Amino acid sequence: MAIVSVKNVSKDYQLGKTVVPALRGVSLDIEPGEFLSIAGPSGSGKTTLLNLIGCVDTATSGTVMVGGKDTRSLSERQLTDLRLHTIGFIFQSFNLVQVLSVFQNVEFPLLLQGKLTAREREARVMALLEAVGIGTYRKHRPSELSGGQRQRVAVARALVSRPALVLADEPTANLDSQTGATIIDLMKEMNQRDGTTFIFSTHDPRVMSHANAVVRIADGQIVAREELNGQAAAGGK
Amino acid sequence: MAAAAGETKILFKIALRNLWASLVRSLFVGGVVALGAFLLVFCVAMVGTINRGMSVSIQNSLGGQLQVYNASSEDKLELYGGMSGESRLVPIEDFAAIKAVLEDVPNVRQVVPMGIDQAMVATGNAVDIALERLRNDVRRLEAGERGPELERSYAAHLGHVRRMVSLLAQELSQARAIADLGGREAKERQQEWEDLTRANTDEFWAGFDRARYERLEFLENKVAKLSLDAAFTFLRYVGTDPQAFFRAFPLAEIAEGEMIPPGRRGILVGKQYAEEYLKLKNARRLDQIKEARDRWRRTIARDEELQRWVKENAIGTREILLQLDPLRAEEVTGLLRTGLGAPAGEDLDALLQRLFQTTDADFDRKYRLFYEVIAPRVRLYSINVGDTITIKAPSKSGYFNAVNVRVYGFIKFKDIERSGIAGMMSVMDLMSFRDLYGFLTREKAAEIAQLKESVQVQELTREDAEAALFGGAEAAPAGGVPDPAPARQSAIDETALLEGVKSGVRPEELAARVYSQEEIERGVVLNAALILEDPGKLSETLAAVQKASDDAKLGLAVLSWKKASGIVGNFVETLQVVIAVGMVIIFLVALVIVNNAIGMAVLQRVKEIGTLRAIGAQRRFVLAMLLVEAMTLGIVFGLLGTGFGVAVLSALRSAGGIPASNDFTYFLFAGPALLPSLSALDTVWSLAVVFVVSVLSGFYPAVLAMRVTPVEAMASEE
Repeated sequence: MAIVSVKNVSKDYQLGKTVVPALRGVSLDIEPGEFLSIAGPSGSGKTTLLNLIGCVDTATSGTVMVGGKDTRSLSERQLTDLRLHTIGFIFQSFNLVQVLSVFQNVEFPLLLQGKLTAREREARVMALLEAVGIGTYRKHRPSELSGGQRQRVAVARALVSRPALVLADEPTANLDSQTGATIIDLMKEMNQRDGTTFIFSTHDPRVMSHANAVVRIADGQIVAREELNGQAAAGGK
Repeated sequence: MAAAAGETKILFKIALRNLWASLVRSLFVGGVVALGAFLLVFCVAMVGTINRGMSVSIQNSLGGQLQVYNASSEDKLELYGGMSGESRLVPIEDFAAIKAVLEDVPNVRQVVPMGIDQAMVATGNAVDIALERLRNDVRRLEAGERGPELERSYAAHLGHVRRMVSLLAQELSQARAIADLGGREAKERQQEWEDLTRANTDEFWAGFDRARYERLEFLENKVAKLSLDAAFTFLRYVGTDPQAFFRAFPLAEIAEGEMIPPGRRGILVGKQYAEEYLKLKNARRLDQIKEARDRWRRTIARDEELQRWVKENAIGTREILLQLDPLRAEEVTGLLRTGLGAPAGEDLDALLQRLFQTTDADFDRKYRLFYEVIAPRVRLYSINVGDTITIKAPSKSGYFNAVNVRVYGFIKFKDIERSGIAGMMSVMDLMSFRDLYGFLTREKAAEIAQLKESVQVQELTREDAEAALFGGAEAAPAGGVPDPAPARQSAIDETALLEGVKSGVRPEELAARVYSQEEIERGVVLNAALILEDPGKLSETLAAVQKASDDAKLGLAVLSWKKASGIVGNFVETLQVVIAVGMVIIFLVALVIVNNAIGMAVLQRVKEIGTLRAIGAQRRFVLAMLLVEAMTLGIVFGLLGTGFGVAVLSALRSAGGIPASNDFTYFLFAGPALLPSLSALDTVWSLAVVFVVSVLSGFYPAVLAMRVTPVEAMASEE
């Protein structure tokens, strides 16, 4: 079963008196374990699509199913729970909590979940920090880290709750191309290690090339879905 | 619950670290909160302390806890007088009757009879006193008494009066130089001048021994009136049963002299009243300068008021000069000359001026010198313990009533003795009060009976009786002074005898008479104070007293001490309202400021909040986080502000408090300084208010933050 199933979804934004359509009848299925890139120029609707999949926004029409649940039927609280337990987020501008240390930023979703003991949390967070290569920075504040390091923290935070799905909106946009590449490599490594589904948006062709599938979007409509080098089901079950 | 604990912990961590991260804003918001807390604590302490002080002052000096008066009075009872003077009360006819009923009401411990009014007191003058002493000697000589002591006294007093006459002549000749002698009263002025000139001749004095009474009366009738300091002042008194009054009001103390013996007529004069109105002006001013210097650290060099007092003292030496007979004048001259180190030629007037011309450097020395040399040789107060004074007041029928009462002592109210409200009050026996106010006492009743017989009147209404009694000199009441001229204290009895006033009862008999408790209580009063066993149950007892009065058809109105204290009591209530309104405004402003500041903070943190929401934080997490921030500011800075307030209050206390700068504040503060203190309950209460206001002001921004959608996290500015 598809982990994400988008059916005939439209999204309009109200801008003053005019209605601006951001998505127009988009349909898309994403299978578990995919490492999928959503590509398109600015304003094409990439972010809107990611927001709908990430349950931070609701569609004007159509259905969005995440993890088998129809997001329209869920309350705000249930949507939040869905995000907490099923989805991880990586943001363009990292969005770390400035007043918390690296360790605390990564631990945060686990605290909200409240399922693990302190020792379990520590073990999991440290393992992830080591895995993304910033174990030695656990006590640093985000402001003391470079952009690439911050995004590594963000990746660790997105993965710490072992979500089925990680959404990354332009994860490399604020990074230089080399750092961007290492972040994408890191994401891919995690995708292959745990089989976590990754969906990331980008307009950078070099970043795109790491994906095993690219969904091209323009003017709020999907114009193409390309499979790249046959790795679509690399981590699939 | 481990889950909630972890979440709560991180929530607090984020909240507190955010406060720390935006330290400037936190300090600003906190400063507003702390200032609000400080002001609140300070004002609550001030008003609370004033309120406690006031209630102590009023309840323990005059008010008791409840007051009753005749409900058919046109005015409301005002213990301290209203805007238009004393309240006009319809009398309570029989105090004993209401006492019996009211004392049976549970929680009522004592019922104290009262009648508060103002009266005039003649304070006499130095010439009168000197003439009075001389007359005493003349009377003894005329009665055939002889002896060296009497001769010496007679010579001294004669010399004193002669000296006074010459002083008066000097003074009047100066006055004539600037006076308009062509006016309407010119003839009278001329006559006065001639009288004085005659009295100032050697022939007048050489012939004194040949016609002592004639010369004395000439001096008394023609010359004494030229002395301008003959005066009277107003005295506020409460007519009461002094024994009951002292039992009821623990602040009342005898400052000097003794208690009025049970059942006797008499008066205890307010000590502060005596200081202000009865004390020798120069001494009073010296006291004031001393207090200003010692207590308020004012200096003569820099304070215009003190300079004025010094100047007034230096030019106002006449009263002292008049009071010193030649013998004493000589003593004083010698002592002052040595004390001041003055040249040998200086006369007394110059020496006195030198004494009073004080500077900061020599004030204390000269002050001591005054009290060592001059004070013991003059009448420092125009009324003294043991004097019999004449008190006059218009009766209800419009005619003046007068009574003679013996001054047994001076009364003060502990801690508030300096207050113009409590310290001015004198305490008089009920019998004299009834005479003065125009009510019937047994002696008067007897007189009326006599009067009826003599003028053949069958029926007299009360008003008629008063008019008849007090309307003319022939019908003067017992102890009254028949002529309306300024009375001469301690000369009254004798004057009355000499001038042959026929009264039913002789004044000395009246003064010596002991009234029974029943006589005291079976009669008219204007109001009564009720002392309660438990002042805490004031409102219940008020209702019970009202009911008892209604049931017994006593027709009484019942007031709490606060209501009965009229404008004085209202003052605190007004103050409370003003401060409450002020505090509400301050807190509204604080609320808006804090609200805005936190609101701005929320706007700046929209992205962070959106992120928290996106990665799984519920709305309540965000709401709680923001409220924790507001509460933390509220608690920390509320405590700081409160702590600062408490510290300032205690610093104020250890520095001696806020000094009472005038008579009214003495009363409000229940003493010479306000020692503002905050009860534990008030502290907690203030903190709670600050806390609630901070949370309220954080609430709206917190709700705004709660509504931030996770979409905000995606927005990419930077």
